[in-house]
Amino acid sequence: MSVEKSNKAARGTVKCENTTLHLLKANDFVAEAIRKEMADRGILLINMTSSPGSGKTTLLQETGKRLKDKINMKILVGDLETERDADRLRDVGVDALQIVTGGICHLEAQMVHQGMEGLDLDGVDLLIIENVGNLVCPSSFDLGEDYRVTLVATTEGDDKPKKYPRMFLTSDMMVVSKSDLLPYLPFTIDAVTEDARDINPSLDVMTVSSQSGEGIDAWCDWLLQKVEEKKGVLA
Amino acid sequence: MHEVSLVRGVFRSLEEEFNSDQLAKMQTIRMKIGLLSNVEPVLMQNAFNAVKEDNPQYANVNLDIESIPIEVHCDICGKDSVVSNYRFVCDCGIPTNNVVKGEELLIHQVEFLD
Repeated sequence: MSVEKSNKAARGTVKCENTTLHLLKANDFVAEAIRKEMADRGILLINMTSSPGSGKTTLLQETGKRLKDKINMKILVGDLETERDADRLRDVGVDALQIVTGGICHLEAQMVHQGMEGLDLDGVDLLIIENVGNLVCPSSFDLGEDYRVTLVATTEGDDKPKKYPRMFLTSDMMVVSKSDLLPYLPFTIDAVTEDARDINPSLDVMTVSSQSGEGIDAWCDWLLQKVEEKKGVLA
Repeated sequence: MHEVSLVRGVFRSLEEEFNSDQLAKMQTIRMKIGLLSNVEPVLMQNAFNAVKEDNPQYANVNLDIESIPIEVHCDICGKDSVVSNYRFVCDCGIPTNNVVKGEELLIHQVEFLD
């Protein structure tokens, strides 16, 4: 295999065809279909992203415990292998469906669309997609969501946003998780907020701890408020 | 990101857009790839050469990649400025995340032998 650059000058007579072919066109087409269906049904759709191990599933367990009797919520959870996360979410009484990507490092709109077919969406108020743990590829794939929420754990370091700029640029909210560990770590909320807002000045920031419970009620209230807003548009 | 599957996506998009007579005369594919697309031009170029090995009908096709810097538009002063060091700030000092360039991942021109 040759690895040299192959942009040699064209030989012979050449005619040009000017075109615009977006390589993510197929994904964006399906994402728009999902967005429309969610709008028609008045369901709030959240796409939750982060690195592996930042506490997405644990936060969603806590969220489920508090919200499952107030609203009808369902979760689609993506991982490369195993049904473990969906099992953990079902353990707290939330209807969850696992999308096993079989090695693919992100969810695409098509996978979400197929996952939605496996859930009964009648009467659902909130559908949360827990994306594959990865701060790179998921940033490029619109899933038709209303809000993209990215978690950063205090154990990851407060310099994360600029290392993965597109994820924070495309997010609406950054949730700093594992705040109970703040006293033991060289991580500050101010530093991570400043780093993230250099990229995305309109980014909302929340702080939570699924262990101590700090901020979980505020996070749940935010979700409830957005559910109401989405229903308001419908009415 | 996933350069090999993206290159396959490039050929698939072109096969949907053009007929086989046109594709046989295809000479150069010109792409625009933004710095925010998470796609690395050198890896893309190498993946292109690798995919060509399995697809001899495209052996003579070249890939030309134009890397696009990130630009933001400022609603206050109306200017577009280039983002450096991932600080999304207009030249006038106002922060903005209104990205107008740098997210491209597209084929913008195809050259055919006449």
